[in-house]
Amino acid sequence: MDFAPDAATRKRVEQLSQLGRAQIRPLGLEADRLGRPTPPDHPFFDLLIQLGQGRTRWSEESEAKSRDASRSRGGSSLVTLCLAEELSYWDRGVAVSFPGPGLAEPSILSMGTPDQKRRFLGPFVEPDRPRWGSFAMTEPGAGSDVAGIEASARKDGRHWVLNGAKSFAANASRADWIVVFATVDRSLGREGHRAFVVERGAPGLGNFAIERKMGLKAYESTSFTLEDCRLPGENLLGGEEHYARRAGFRGAMKSFNATRPMVAAMAVGIGRAAFDEARVFAREHGRLADARVRDRLERIRRRLRAARLLCWRAAWLADRAQPNILEASMAKAVAPEVALEAACLGMEILGEVGARGDHLIEKLFRDVKAMDIVEGTGQIQRIIMARRLVKLPSERG
Amino acid sequence: MIDFELGDELALIRETALGFANDQLRPRDREFEKARAVAAEVHEAFRAIGLGAIEVPEEQGGAGLGALARVLVFEELAAADAGAALALDSLGPALYPLLELAGGDALDALARPVLERTGARGVLVWDGAGRVRRERGRVSAEIPWVPTDRVDLLVILDPTGAVCVSEGIARSELRGAGLRAAGASALRLEDAPVRAAWEGAAGARRALARARLYAAALLVGVMRAASDFSREYALNREAFGRPIAHHQALAFLIADMATAVESTRLLVQEAAWRIDGGEEAAEPCATAFLEAAEQAMFVTPNALQILGGHGFMQDYPVEKFMREARTLGLLFGGTDAAREEAGRELDTTPGPAAVGGAGA
Ligand SMILES: Cc1cc2nc3c(=O)[nH]c(=O)nc-3n(C[C@H](O)[C@H](O)[C@H](O)COP(=O)(O)OP(=O)(O)OC[C@H]3O[C@@H](n4cnc5c(N)ncnc54)[C@H](O)[C@@H]3O)c2cc1C
Repeated sequence: MDFAPDAATRKRVEQLSQLGRAQIRPLGLEADRLGRPTPPDHPFFDLLIQLGQGRTRWSEESEAKSRDASRSRGGSSLVTLCLAEELSYWDRGVAVSFPGPGLAEPSILSMGTPDQKRRFLGPFVEPDRPRWGSFAMTEPGAGSDVAGIEASARKDGRHWVLNGAKSFAANASRADWIVVFATVDRSLGREGHRAFVVERGAPGLGNFAIERKMGLKAYESTSFTLEDCRLPGENLLGGEEHYARRAGFRGAMKSFNATRPMVAAMAVGIGRAAFDEARVFAREHGRLADARVRDRLERIRRRLRAARLLCWRAAWLADRAQPNILEASMAKAVAPEVALEAACLGMEILGEVGARGDHLIEKLFRDVKAMDIVEGTGQIQRIIMARRLVKLPSERG
Repeated sequence: MIDFELGDELALIRETALGFANDQLRPRDREFEKARAVAAEVHEAFRAIGLGAIEVPEEQGGAGLGALARVLVFEELAAADAGAALALDSLGPALYPLLELAGGDALDALARPVLERTGARGVLVWDGAGRVRRERGRVSAEIPWVPTDRVDLLVILDPTGAVCVSEGIARSELRGAGLRAAGASALRLEDAPVRAAWEGAAGARRALARARLYAAALLVGVMRAASDFSREYALNREAFGRPIAHHQALAFLIADMATAVESTRLLVQEAAWRIDGGEEAAEPCATAFLEAAEQAMFVTPNALQILGGHGFMQDYPVEKFMREARTLGLLFGGTDAAREEAGRELDTTPGPAAVGGAGA
């Protein structure tokens, strides 16, 4: 067993931490003060592109390799996860505003045809400018219960016609394209879902509205509508064969998940930031001698450490393509709760200073709550765990 | 790089411990509790699998394994019967002051006789609050509870060092709240002669850290057993037309209990890994013990709750798990002393990042 990241990972974390201190945290505080997402033409994003950020994991070579059928792909989610935690330590809102294909990349990688990967991820290999992708599943009427989405997809000759409304999609208004989920038949539940790549400027795509959020203001969470939005057949992710094939695996659940441990690690990052700030404040104000304060800080440190170990373990399993659904949900259920506890305690240690609304901990307190909502709420994680642990029947018969 | 693979040797050791625990301990837990002892043939069987003196160096007839092996084996034993685990481990955590402060000769002279006599017991007492009086080579103290029915070697550890006593110990038998398979006694020392004494704050701190980790591993085993047992029960018991596990209030609780076991185990293993890497690990061990004690008091009472009235009856093991969890958490100064230790680092670690950066 080994409980330490290797030297190469530590070095990358250290580099990120320098960028974090110098740029990411100040930018996050600025966006929070101004109450708007960092605009897409901000020079920070050009700097990121120069630094090699904002890229896709996909490449022509990786494409060639994945065609080389049976090779099991050893992933690197552990490294990505360590970096994600560090990034969120400095500012989770800014982290999500980073250019790149973002949350939509896994959908394109897992469902897209080779042509689609080239077409949509190709521009992110050596991007000429900051580019974003976006992912839109959630609707005003359906979040946790994804089977309940109402956006519809209707076939019209070689084209598809989409109608509906999406909400909270990160980076949607600045994106080159948005992966949109819609249904061909609501009575089929998830079986009826189709994923489309809707490109900027597509006819009928519009009404972008950036939501006003409690925190995480540095990136845009955006609602938009699709009104008779016509898309060429090639924009159906995976092509029609993909869905015909998938129908054969009805009910088969994916056996591992790399996103939930990642989001959980981001929560650990926020919690760690709150903890560090609280501890420094307590020390500077002579409060560490107070056992009541020390004990509660100790508890936060301990719970953050345990949460991080759960994240690491889930990602380690994913990297080895071993089942990790239970472990991933454990991490995702625990980390946001601990991080919220850290921010709450931080506010208490600040006392009235926390109520002024101008302290970093106060911002973290507003940022952190979203972590228990995105990527499956805490309740949904418990449902997923209970399915594994006690065969909890699915909510839909 | 971060790696959760045990490797062949440790996996085999754990497998062996699991097999022994299932065959020899679990079916007889109530019998051992009643007898306040583990049957002689079980002692023999434990000796035969070679896990008896797990951290004792090979020169002294032990298995010469590390802290990680210890926590793996003791989780398995405690998942079957934590009291029996203590009874079988003749030297117990009394080993640690000898290892950290005394060295090879003392191990030969003091530890070996205990290891070689079936049923003999070494006992570790932590004296963090100055309750033991020492004068001219003699010690006096009242010790309200130790989980044993005999004392062949008493090691009293305090922040400055340790003393070792084997005569002049008046023992009176107690009923004991939990862990009865190991026995339960109050000890009274009146000018008992010191057999050996060692000084060294750093060694004492390490010895205490390892003792806390020892208790933490047992706590993980107990809470795992409680979590597994109650989950199984919840699948078979029906109420309101379905297995009680399928009512969301219990389904979520069961998920949280499983998560508590998993995360605590990881903290315990991480601390053990630090010890095996040569770190002092006082803070990580105190932290792991605290978490284990707290989470065990979340998991075991809820396990009982899941069985309802049946949980309260001694026909099922969950009430025993709850008593064991509560008692184990009282060892070595209990959680408040551990909080003191873990909290100290908050003051001494400079700058931010006391959790350790992702890269730490
Ligand atoms: C900051 C932020 C960014 C986001 N970014 C994106 C994005 O980029 N793309 C995107 O598609 N979506 C995004 N989302 C949406 C997010 O995925 C959803 O908000 C989330 O899935 C919850 O759905 P909901 O808001 O509709 O809540 P609901 O599903 O209505 O849930 C309401 C409450 O009911 C509980 N609940 C629901 N079902 C059950 C059940 N069976 N048992 C017990 N309790 C239950 C939930 O846990 C929750 O507490 C984002 C959300 C936020 C806050």
